[in-house]
Amino acid sequence: MANTIIGSSIVIDGEISGDEDLVIQGTVKGRISLKESLYVESSGIVEADIDTQNVEIAGRVTGNIVASDKVELKADCRVIGDIKSPRILIADGAAFKGNVDMDIKD
Amino acid sequence: MPVSLKMFSNKTVIGPSILINGRLSGDEDLTVRGRVEGEIALSRRLIVEKSGIVKANVSVKHAIISGVVVGNITATECVELTPGGRMVGDIASPRVIIVDGASFRGHILMGDVQTLRETRERLEAAKPTATSQVLASSRFSSLRPPSVPRLALGSPLSPLSQRPIPRPLTTLNAPSSPASAEASPEDGSPSDNDDAVVADKPLPPEPPEFMEASKRKIIVKKKK
Repeated sequence: MANTIIGSSIVIDGEISGDEDLVIQGTVKGRISLKESLYVESSGIVEADIDTQNVEIAGRVTGNIVASDKVELKADCRVIGDIKSPRILIADGAAFKGNVDMDIKD
Repeated sequence: MPVSLKMFSNKTVIGPSILINGRLSGDEDLTVRGRVEGEIALSRRLIVEKSGIVKANVSVKHAIISGVVVGNITATECVELTPGGRMVGDIASPRVIIVDGASFRGHILMGDVQTLRETRERLEAAKPTATSQVLASSRFSSLRPPSVPRLALGSPLSPLSQRPIPRPLTTLNAPSSPASAEASPEDGSPSDNDDAVVADKPLPPEPPEFMEASKRKIIVKKKK
């Protein structure tokens, strides 16, 4: 289970890094780099460049996303920025503006 | 998304392998098991667990430290260093608790004048019955200058209680009318802490009041 949670009233301005799952219900500005999964819940607001293995977004994200495994944009999320990942899922209802790069090799 | 996480919806946890570098602020409890560097500003509790490392200037209501903190802490309520807690830095808080086993290096400031005043006011507000009894028993209160009742209220609550004694006595001595006779036992009450002083000073006005004053002694001693 993820054991890092940024609660809904928390604001972080800076850099977050680590080797475990991270759940964001609050606000994070700056940079996030993880070796595991990032969950941005519906109340979460992220204005940061993200570099992780896995990303699930139900809230708002502004910034570039690089994931080594998968990026999932859930319904009602709002994402502005470029996404680079081998697997990208965009659900019905998700709002997204930016480039998608699935890193296809010819 | 794991549903079980909803249980912790109002609690923020920084896990053991997480490093946060920057400014962290919020209105909820924060538990640190990893590492936070920079600045923390919370309106509630900060809990630094055994594995937690905080290198930051911290401003919170209540801090409980079982891990490592390097930096200054300003708490509006309390700072607690538990047996495993290690801290280097300054603490400013009305209450500071350091238990056996904790290590600490730095300066401690336990509440400045303002916070002391605030806590005293809070205590008075919390005990309206006690203070109103004092006021009610002083029929003389309307004749006093406004500063005197405040001293009388504060005196039983603080160790400074001996200080205000001289002032009520001087105000008593001025009017030698029957009104002062009623007031003197009331004003004598805080001074009952040490009988010697009382016996020296208020004797001239009216000896009979002492009897009433001695009744109040019980109340005063209870609070002491």
